[in-house]
Amino acid sequence: MNRRSLVERGLIAVFAAFLLTVPWTIPLILNAFWVSVIAEILIWSLFAASANLLFGYVGLLSFGQALFFGFGMYGVGIGIDHFGLSFWPAFGLGIAAAMAMAFVSGILAVRLTWHYFAIITVVFSLIFYFIAVSAKSVTGGDDGINFALPPTFSFGAVQFGFADANFQYFFILASVSLCFFLMHLVVGSPLGKAFLAVRENDVRASLIGLNVYVIRLIAFVMAGFLAGVAGALFAFFGRYASASYMFYTFSGEAVVWAIVGGAGTLFGPIVGASLFIVIREVVSTHWEHHSLIVGVMAILVVILAPKGIVGLWRDWVDTPPPTGAELPVTTELRTEP
Amino acid sequence: MIDTLLLLSLNGLIWGLIIALIALGLSVIFGMLDIINIAHGDFFMVGTVLAWFSLQMTGNYWLGFLLVPLICFLLGAVIQRLVIQPIRGNPALSIVATFGLSLILQEVVRMTFGATPRRILPPIQGTISLFGIQYDVYRIYAAGFSIAALAAFFLFLNYTKLGTWMRAVRHDRETATAMGVPARLVYVLTFAVGFALAGFGGVVAAPITTVDFRGGVDLLPVCFIAVIVGGLGNLPGTAAAAILLSLLEGIVQSFANPTLARITSLLLMSAVLLLRPQGLFKGFAK
Repeated sequence: MNRRSLVERGLIAVFAAFLLTVPWTIPLILNAFWVSVIAEILIWSLFAASANLLFGYVGLLSFGQALFFGFGMYGVGIGIDHFGLSFWPAFGLGIAAAMAMAFVSGILAVRLTWHYFAIITVVFSLIFYFIAVSAKSVTGGDDGINFALPPTFSFGAVQFGFADANFQYFFILASVSLCFFLMHLVVGSPLGKAFLAVRENDVRASLIGLNVYVIRLIAFVMAGFLAGVAGALFAFFGRYASASYMFYTFSGEAVVWAIVGGAGTLFGPIVGASLFIVIREVVSTHWEHHSLIVGVMAILVVILAPKGIVGLWRDWVDTPPPTGAELPVTTELRTEP
Repeated sequence: MIDTLLLLSLNGLIWGLIIALIALGLSVIFGMLDIINIAHGDFFMVGTVLAWFSLQMTGNYWLGFLLVPLICFLLGAVIQRLVIQPIRGNPALSIVATFGLSLILQEVVRMTFGATPRRILPPIQGTISLFGIQYDVYRIYAAGFSIAALAAFFLFLNYTKLGTWMRAVRHDRETATAMGVPARLVYVLTFAVGFALAGFGGVVAAPITTVDFRGGVDLLPVCFIAVIVGGLGNLPGTAAAAILLSLLEGIVQSFANPTLARITSLLLMSAVLLLRPQGLFKGFAK
């Protein structure tokens, strides 16, 4: 075990300890509002991870992850508001809707690569964005739908639900951690190696007997799953679902967060999403034009740390480059002929 | 019915000519520099805002047709040196950098111009009778300006020294450099020309749409779609695709609501991408 992985294990342990104590430590240091900001960061990290799974591990640049986020969000919103579902069936509906959509659109989209893939994912997400905006009776359009959240668990008279801020935080933390753990398992599995093979060179990958199309489709559905869980959690978190979260700019933010944090690394999306949301929250209370800072930050990061913040950290910790699944994606991208 | 069809198709056609200008700017930046320019819609928006400022300061809208592209050209050159040069040739990083650029441009406009959308009165009022319908005179002028700018751009690209340099560097950078073409200068120039095209589109379009700091957001996907459907690197194809798409949307709009028209054209786009990913016009142009 080299020095870096020791240091990183230590950091992960500290990070995990921090996350587990957030509801008690953060109100002491800052205030209770920041607990919900951290919960929000967790959700956005998951959303960024969905873009990262495609771009960082399989080499597919998706500008349409907001579509699956939206399906997860509306699955929950419509499930509760229109069908009167309770918590878990609504959660399931959201995730199933996102994965089904990812499967159907993936069948078409993963036939294309690079620029074409990026554009078709934007086109698909725009189609459903416009449908969601115009179908006001179902989706509430841009105004969205508000709903009352049913309890998560109820044992007779004892109920646990998102009304309890601590329960809400830990539910989100548990769901997001589980997703990241699953991603960690996938990345280390033979399937994860196949993802990387496809990312590095899809022709060679197909020559060693990998079915590139199926591998890309699997990755696409998995990314849809991650975005769907993020969307469903966000719907629970805000008790709200709106078409505005399906717009393409939102997909773009996920890509930006992932690249700034470090594409092709497990923690990159967390770092990227945290950076941007913390800046937004800190600056926006003092200055109306906080986007200016975010814009300058984004540019500075790509100029100073082209492999993202996690990549910069790794270059700093160990000079000889690491090998294996956690190798940050090389910044040079293949352009298909 | 025929009247609405004609009116909306004409609107679509003229809007398509404007989009063609903007998309051409995007295609030049995309095709020659490998920069996925997320800020391109905002370049157009900056054009509309500069048109508004130029009208306020000079009192004459027509001056904007000269001033705005010039300012955009200079802005583009500065931005290329500060933001694009350091990451040149890396599409993934260009997404993040131009995303940041887009935020900065929108925010600076919000600080100076304000968050309220404004309208600019067309410099020529009145309507003329065209095929039995009353049509805004300014829109005819807008079409004329766009066609002139498109023609001027292609003449520039094909018949001037700078245009030849641009094509040479795109074709083979090493050889071009060896032949004495100043590649770095050409990159600056290319980006500046791309910005200027979008800015010119902004001046032409400002009296037709509203001037708003979010005005570029809806436009960006349309431009990218035109670039891809027209065929990557195929500049006449890009222009043709922009005009066709917008015309189609206008025609559908006379039968259905604007959102449905949008969805229809997007569905068509998916079909083109899936069936002819090399672009609609491969084999026609070039």
